[in-house]
Amino acid sequence: SLVVRGEKDEQAVLCSKDKTYDMKIADTSNMLLFIPGCKTPEQLNADQASCDIIHSQIAGFSNNYWELRRCRPKLKKLRKLLMEDPYEGPDSRKDQTSTFSKYTTEDLLSLIQASEEEILHQLQVIDACKIEGYWRILEFDYEMKLLNHVTQLIDSESWSLSKVPLRTCLEELGSLEPTEMIEHILLSYGRKYIDDGEVYFEMHEDKICRAIAQMLLQNAVKFNLSEFQEVWQQSVPEGMTARLDQLKGLALVDKNSRPETIFLLKVEDLPEDNQERFNSLFSIREKWTEVDITPYIQDLCAEKQTVGALLTKYARSSMQNGVRVYNSRRPIS
Amino acid sequence: GAGGLAQWVLVELQGEVEPRQSSGLAGSLLGDLHYTCEGVPVLIVGHHILYGKVVQLEKPFAVLVKRGAGEPGPAGPHTHYTVTALIKTKLLFKTRPKPIITNVPKKV
Repeated sequence: SLVVRGEKDEQAVLCSKDKTYDMKIADTSNMLLFIPGCKTPEQLNADQASCDIIHSQIAGFSNNYWELRRCRPKLKKLRKLLMEDPYEGPDSRKDQTSTFSKYTTEDLLSLIQASEEEILHQLQVIDACKIEGYWRILEFDYEMKLLNHVTQLIDSESWSLSKVPLRTCLEELGSLEPTEMIEHILLSYGRKYIDDGEVYFEMHEDKICRAIAQMLLQNAVKFNLSEFQEVWQQSVPEGMTARLDQLKGLALVDKNSRPETIFLLKVEDLPEDNQERFNSLFSIREKWTEVDITPYIQDLCAEKQTVGALLTKYARSSMQNGVRVYNSRRPIS
Repeated sequence: GAGGLAQWVLVELQGEVEPRQSSGLAGSLLGDLHYTCEGVPVLIVGHHILYGKVVQLEKPFAVLVKRGAGEPGPAGPHTHYTVTALIKTKLLFKTRPKPIITNVPKKV
């Protein structure tokens, strides 16, 4: 079955179980009659027998219809809603108050312009978890605290990063944090598998390094690049390598400043609409190389659309010092 | 998939259809639909005759039925639509209707 979703100030979308469509009403000056069971010439030819009159009823008529075009699910609002009240841990006094700004799956289905499957998938992508029936995002500092417990335990137990036992984690850390939270952080930062009847996690090196970088970068407007890289490598767990390519869509390096600097720029903080996204990017930096801009526009690509096609549509290209760069098509104030 | 979905046909007319009586369209007879040997649809409405053509729709239509909590009217929280039929073919009538003049034999 299909559902129309949207609040009064939003443009309506139609959702199936797993897809989202922009809706437009198309008018025609003609009259459209719909007739169940009406036969076409081919069907009548095939049915040689009857010369009888077939009585058909016109089921209805209209002079407008809905035109649908598959679109990207509008999921930015999901993060926005869950960020209204991030979960800060069981010790936080906040949670004992109201359930205002807390959302169940039903709530999200009526507020987010996307299909159910797209919403559930996105909840997984953003590492949301259900606490007492409500979907919650972890407050970043609390998330880092949990991650730190796990990485310190891995270090003190000298476990391989690809074989972290769930049971031992719950035993050792269960006194510090709720077991659901320990398991949640392992699921967020690792891949679960079963070996010989026991549950283990293969930790995501890239995701862990990326989170630690975010933790370092969020404390200042920008950093000296080489100083940052040094501190960052010292901060990641033993055995992991911090690499700049882990920071795509999270941070941007300014290669033109002396010394080179790096600053936090999260793609999820940028506008969802294509034109607004490009305006925002060009107001942050006038000219972009394709390599730098790609992580910040990749999510705008429709089914079968490439980053190149987006750049052709929304940007103007030129050569600068032998490198192709992209800038805005219109003046940005 | 479309297994089990009814197939309907769309008839597209230029302009409007008016009821002969003031009682409205519901329940009234629109007219007679015929096909010539070449498969050309012919519609006789009142004393007019219209010639049309069979068009396979590039983008088929789905007929939706509104369902959900209770009465018709503004959508409630559980309103949804189910697909009740598909329309892949339309009979398009866009030529001017011609009045049918019955032949009055001349007196010899």
